[in-house]
Amino acid sequence: MVSWPHWIIVAIIMPMAGAVLTPIVSRKNDKAAPVWALFIMSLTSLAALFLIVRVAQEGPFSYLVGGWARPYGIELHFDEFSASIGIICLIGWLALLFSYHYVAESIPKPRIPYYYTLVLLNLTGMIGFVMTGDLFNLYVFMEILSLSAYALVAVSGERVAEMAAFKYLVMGAVSSLIILFSIGLLYAVTGSLNMADISTRLAGIESRLPVMLALAGMAMALMVKAAIFPLHIWLPDAHAIAPSPVSAILSGLVVKTGVFGLLRVYQIFYGAGTYELAGLNTTLIWLGAISIIMGAFFAIFQEDIKMMLAYSTISNVGYIVMGLGLASQYGIIGATVHIFNHALIKATLFLGAGALMYKTGYRTLTDLRGVGKAMPLTSMAMSIGAISIVGIPPTAGFLCKWYIALGAFQAGQPAFGFALVFGALFIFIYYIRMVNSFYFQPPTHPEILEVGEAPVSMLFPVLLLAALCLVMGILGRIPLSFIEPAVTRMLGG
Amino acid sequence: MKKALVAALLILAAIPLLLAVSELPPHGSASNATYTHVSAYYLEHGAEEAGAENIITDVILNYRGFDTNGEVTVIFTALAAVLAVLLLGDASTATEDKPSHSVSVVVSFIVRLLAPFIAMFAVYVIINGHISPGGGFQGGTILGALAIVLTLVLGEDEARRLLPERPKPWLQAAAPLTFIGIGLAGLTDTGFYLGFPTAEALSWIRTMWLLAIEIGIGVGGAAIIASIFWTMEAER
Amino acid sequence: MIEALWVNLDYAASVVLFLIGLYAVIAKDNLIKKFMGLNIMETAIFAFIVALGVVDGGDAPIMGEGARAPFTNPIPQALILTGIVVAVSTTALALSLIIRIYRQCGTIEADELREME
Repeated sequence: MVSWPHWIIVAIIMPMAGAVLTPIVSRKNDKAAPVWALFIMSLTSLAALFLIVRVAQEGPFSYLVGGWARPYGIELHFDEFSASIGIICLIGWLALLFSYHYVAESIPKPRIPYYYTLVLLNLTGMIGFVMTGDLFNLYVFMEILSLSAYALVAVSGERVAEMAAFKYLVMGAVSSLIILFSIGLLYAVTGSLNMADISTRLAGIESRLPVMLALAGMAMALMVKAAIFPLHIWLPDAHAIAPSPVSAILSGLVVKTGVFGLLRVYQIFYGAGTYELAGLNTTLIWLGAISIIMGAFFAIFQEDIKMMLAYSTISNVGYIVMGLGLASQYGIIGATVHIFNHALIKATLFLGAGALMYKTGYRTLTDLRGVGKAMPLTSMAMSIGAISIVGIPPTAGFLCKWYIALGAFQAGQPAFGFALVFGALFIFIYYIRMVNSFYFQPPTHPEILEVGEAPVSMLFPVLLLAALCLVMGILGRIPLSFIEPAVTRMLGG
Repeated sequence: MKKALVAALLILAAIPLLLAVSELPPHGSASNATYTHVSAYYLEHGAEEAGAENIITDVILNYRGFDTNGEVTVIFTALAAVLAVLLLGDASTATEDKPSHSVSVVVSFIVRLLAPFIAMFAVYVIINGHISPGGGFQGGTILGALAIVLTLVLGEDEARRLLPERPKPWLQAAAPLTFIGIGLAGLTDTGFYLGFPTAEALSWIRTMWLLAIEIGIGVGGAAIIASIFWTMEAER
Repeated sequence: MIEALWVNLDYAASVVLFLIGLYAVIAKDNLIKKFMGLNIMETAIFAFIVALGVVDGGDAPIMGEGARAPFTNPIPQALILTGIVVAVSTTALALSLIIRIYRQCGTIEADELREME
């Protein structure tokens, strides 16, 4: 069962077919769309499970689409990093479940089937993105996921949402074009589009300048996608204004594709072996550190709860990028596992915030005062999320941040280890503000005490994710040791 | 002030870019890596093993067919995105104050006269994509453009009849569905997704499959372009 | 360097076009103009990649009777067909957003929109 070779293609075409069939399925019955989408994602998750088990058992494997040998056809390559398909399926599934009641009230009715179509397409794009071994194919999947993400931001039809979506679209499209340009440069010097093939052929290239330009272009464009500090301006509006399940997907997963792309770029260039990456590494460390501090700094001043979470995403992606830039064993392991853990935590918080907004109708910290008594379970889940994101043991955020700090010492740059701790302090301040307003302040609106918990379809994802935040704190060693061989292989060249 | 600053920054950025492209392998030389590595293989074997005399069609639909599979999904995403952004709950908002079309009789007559020929040309482009320049996307675009021209001349209600409600969602999804269908057929036949039968004697099946994909892309592309236009038109 | 640039004039032209587009995206206030800038950038990149496939004296890579080597490189053309479709899709979505913004705000000038926020 596990060794059936076609699970990898099933994992891509299942959500793809599901997405294009969604408008057809829901033509007669509006309620069919969410059920159908959940059904499709369940099957996809099953395929993902088999893939992850297989990679754990036998290491990385490839699939040749159309049977054409590398580099003539398109190769799908599944390694330990691609196992992030697991978190994509998990968050995607829970966000779809959460959408069932949430979306019915918050977006215009005729748009609902297309909302589910776009969510499935977005997940398809991400699943393809993490599994493909071909540079141009990577671009195609990146476009599927970006295009659907722009539209999902605007789907509520509010004026601000459309403006945020346009800003997101312009920045996203420019960065996609820079990536395409870099792919063109790499193709010009190597004559190939297969990542592994490019990696081997790059070693023997004489003219270094185009290759370095391609590296710089890709790194910059992917940093736009990952919302690293000076390039983050599209993120806060887009993530705060999108419907909450979409925010969870955008913040938990879509932003990470930028980081994931950086990982792939690193794999290509470490594989080539002969390129000096110190400049890029230093840039990433510095920008990462600045993102941690600035993201946390701006988050402190936000009244809007989702705006605060959006800025917090910037600072957490800063951790991940810094870990990558440290280029030490611990740093990269910590960074990749933080991709996973941050997705869990941020999904908990965004979905929790969505549940609060759904029941109370308020979204600022002042308005939400006292909600801890009215919606104890949701508030508790969000508090667990807050503790995790600060990185207090024994929650999910602790181990990976600890590893990144260790990575800083291992790389001989202890100052950044301290920057990380300092950033965690900042983060602590604003999440304390959130917990404080939930539990310890008298309600601004007394009627808030009357509202009850959200329906099960919303409560269950929030509670499950919060529980996972705790479980991953205790079982945190499992993903760390799972990813270790891949990191060793990557750094070893 | 801001504009001058931006211009100055971009001129600065031009220097490394121009330096880098000047170091690329010389333009048009047949000894470039782009020409000697993968593409040499395509040019040598494409016509026999991939099923079409037009090597570009071979690359698009066979060697790199999975890219095109993603690409038709991108254009479907565009449709879903446009609908998700533009559709509204109440249908009343758009239709009221729209200026009525007043197209000159000459234009209207000429367009009606040309319409069947344009459609025929589109079909020709679609089904000849494997032996001549052309293919599904090109032909589909021509068909879509025809739908747009007819909308401008005949008015929206008349033109919308070109795409009946019942099969509409199927036609819009035609391209990805054909791809997945052919892909799965390849899976059962050769053991690879999007694998085409390899035997020498089966070259006609390869060509048929290519043709099926071209038609799927053509029909799907035209339906999507027309639907996007109509949705925007309704919101105008 | 100038000599090498002269040989690769096609690439250099694409780079210049790309930067012109980028200028429009950053400096123009009208959303449609911004987006036209993006389309110029797209065209620049497509021209760059297609130019990579040119071979001096090359013929269209269509086999069959009367075909004679050398042929141009088919890969960049195939890639750019995909690229064009992606560009069209982005354009469709961007125009829809502009329509909606215009309907709701009555303007598509970025500076006026900023004041309304």
